[in-house]
Amino acid sequence: MTPSSLLVGIIVVPLAGAVLTPVIGGKAGKHAWTWATTVMVATSVIAAALVNQVARTGPFSAYLGGWERPYGIELRFDEFSASVAVICLLGLLAIVFSQKYAAKELPPARLGTYYTLLLLNLTGMLGFVVTGDLFNLFVFMEILSLSGYALVAISGERTAEMAAFKYLVMGAVSSLLVLFAIGLLYALTGSLNMADISDRLTGSAEVPAMLALALLTTGFMVKAALFPLHVWLPDAHAIAPSPVSAILSGLVVKTGLLGMIRVYQIYYGAKVLDLSSLNTVLVWLGAISIVMGAFFAIFQEDIKMMLAYSTISNIGYIVMGLGLASQYGIIGATVHIFNHALIKATLFLGAGALIYQTGYRNLSDLRGVGRSMPFTTAAISVGAISIVGMPPTAGFLCKWYIALGAVQAGHPVFGVALVFGALFIFVYYIRMVNSFYFQAPIHPEILEVKEAPLTMLAPVLILAALCLAMGLLGRIPLSFIEPAVTRLLGTLGG
Amino acid sequence: MIVHLWQNIDYVASVVLFCIGLYCVITKNNLIKKFIGLNIMETSVFAFIVALGVVDGGDAPIMGAGARAPFTNPIPQALILTGIVVAVSTTALALSLVIRIYQHCGTIEADELREME
Amino acid sequence: MKRALTAAFLVLVSLPLLYAMSQLPQHGSATSPAYTHIAPRYLERGPEEAGAENVVTDVILNYRGFDTNGEVTVIFTSLAAVFAVLLAGREGDERSASEPRARTTPEVSPVASFVVRLLSPFVAIFAVYVVMNGHISPGGGFQGGTVFGALLILATVVLGKATAEKLQPARIRGLLQAAAPLTFIAVGVAGLIMFGDYLAFPKAAALAWVRTLWLIVIEIGIGVGGASIISAIFWQMGGDR
Repeated sequence: MTPSSLLVGIIVVPLAGAVLTPVIGGKAGKHAWTWATTVMVATSVIAAALVNQVARTGPFSAYLGGWERPYGIELRFDEFSASVAVICLLGLLAIVFSQKYAAKELPPARLGTYYTLLLLNLTGMLGFVVTGDLFNLFVFMEILSLSGYALVAISGERTAEMAAFKYLVMGAVSSLLVLFAIGLLYALTGSLNMADISDRLTGSAEVPAMLALALLTTGFMVKAALFPLHVWLPDAHAIAPSPVSAILSGLVVKTGLLGMIRVYQIYYGAKVLDLSSLNTVLVWLGAISIVMGAFFAIFQEDIKMMLAYSTISNIGYIVMGLGLASQYGIIGATVHIFNHALIKATLFLGAGALIYQTGYRNLSDLRGVGRSMPFTTAAISVGAISIVGMPPTAGFLCKWYIALGAVQAGHPVFGVALVFGALFIFVYYIRMVNSFYFQAPIHPEILEVKEAPLTMLAPVLILAALCLAMGLLGRIPLSFIEPAVTRLLGTLGG
Repeated sequence: MIVHLWQNIDYVASVVLFCIGLYCVITKNNLIKKFIGLNIMETSVFAFIVALGVVDGGDAPIMGAGARAPFTNPIPQALILTGIVVAVSTTALALSLVIRIYQHCGTIEADELREME
Repeated sequence: MKRALTAAFLVLVSLPLLYAMSQLPQHGSATSPAYTHIAPRYLERGPEEAGAENVVTDVILNYRGFDTNGEVTVIFTSLAAVFAVLLAGREGDERSASEPRARTTPEVSPVASFVVRLLSPFVAIFAVYVVMNGHISPGGGFQGGTVFGALLILATVVLGKATAEKLQPARIRGLLQAAAPLTFIAVGVAGLIMFGDYLAFPKAAALAWVRTLWLIVIEIGIGVGGASIISAIFWQMGGDR
């Protein structure tokens, strides 16, 4: 297999899997789970091969239809695209987790559709991160957004449908902002290929270029749920079925950030504008997001609502890291994109297992569950420690890097904000762990609950183990991403 | 600046439409009207991009006997064909959601729905 | 109050937008970057190297075929999304789809029924014409598929759902709905195997007719898929009452 055909495969294999799910899955989606799992295993193998390739040879491309840049569509796999590995891993685990969960929580007629939409959503994300063409990026963004809206509504409850509608309106407006910006960039450069746009944008009219930048940033930041554009997130992520929450919170919001990285690649390369004022805005909004998300999370009773607010706070960290525009800051932010995906998936899938077994979702109702479901709660605790950023876990190194980045960029104040945010986060996760283990149960029957079934427990434990492993082996992703960040900032410095 | 604006009056029209659409999305109370606002925004962006491809005196880019230059730019037209399909798909999902919300709540007015929560 | 504030906000937002619009390359100019960078190659060499006299078709199906591959996936997604939202929910939640309809379609006048029966063959032929001529005239898979989908919807309204559904046998309906993405994947993978690139068409000058043939195959796939999906969405939306 040549690298370029692997690159095509990472999109086409899950796409073929998705469109065939209704055919192969059978009438009531009986075989849909087996099929979706098989497809994701195959996709994960391709993803592993791609990451291995980029680690050995550096970035590479596939030219679809054989039309060379800029005449056709280019797929480009660089170090940032290595997030395909996380997408495949989380997608696979969320699908495995869904077997029992979806059968119980969803209307039976919708089971087949559920797996179709999950696969389409993953296809959209995989396409989004590997494409090198701006309009193609928009098309994949629409695939992942549309399937995301539907997945929020799939449980068929009134609140879910209203949350999905709110998500849809915000999401559709943000997609339009991105499309408008694509139009502006096309008018200025005559091209849609990102690398080509970057080359040709040099020396073009400043005001339209600035407007395009503003529209792209706003559009992607709605997708990423940065304060004050986050209003759709808590409802949508808390009400969706738990495996969907894990994917939305772990991956879908990150596509907004990866989109932002692509925007930086275009604009840093073009040197048409001075981005420092945009970066200042992003750092401030990031800081506000950290504090605000953490603050609201403290007051949430619903465990999934709390996790949703915690996502806003962590998006704040990443955006702040990107906005600092220093080597350490961007490396930390990028690695936190990966790590937060793992951590948040652990937490959401763990919470899903608790809800599945006990039927409760409020922290006070879940008191004492640590005694009856020791493995799940242990995994959730590992996730909680990681997200706070305790030293031996995945969350520590990247937050440390972002703090170093703040110092490096000459804004140590933001490093302080970051530590404060971590304290807030510590408070609400302590509250969660406390209610699991140390408080007397309100509902005595919770002590009789059994541990979650294997298809649910295994994904949660694997993810928790990865959270620990990423802490111990944290240097590997950091050094993996470093050349890409150096290239990005190298074009900045000139 | 006014001269330039006048020359680019097509782009100005799409900006105006865009703002009208956004106004509907923000202020309208009825979910379907909100979505009509969104469709106005979509149309404005499509109009903007198609207008980018116009060339003075240009013909449709279909070659063959009798075709004469200049031709309009085919790329924006191709992009917007895709864009329209995307818009239709979003509309289909939004209308389905509205159907379900109406079945559940008996209303599609945003303020009444907020009170029910 | 909210309205006034929103209006004021939008006026403020539109000012920089308008300023940027005044700075764009002049509308209709033949020297703008958009017209001088990539488009000239498409216009000059499109018909011979991409296979269709209609350059827009060249762009959507050949030069930027992968976008269209994504686009047909978007409509497939919208079908799945509509199913996800509207398929029968929990028991006792709503009337389930299998239950007989509470309200039947109102009686249709014999005139309307006769006219629809009379016109449908012509509409169908027009749909096929639009699909098959997409490479030399305005039209193509989507447009033709939509015309055919409209015919199916018309038939549903006038002749009843049962009659219209006969055109899409339940056994292969899933395949019909996935026809467009599947055609793209088939053509794409064929290109990958034979010419080394996904969605690659034969390049040799002597094989021009093969290029055109492949375009038509894709157009038919899009048309079939589009028509099935549009009618399925309509049935699903109306199926509950």
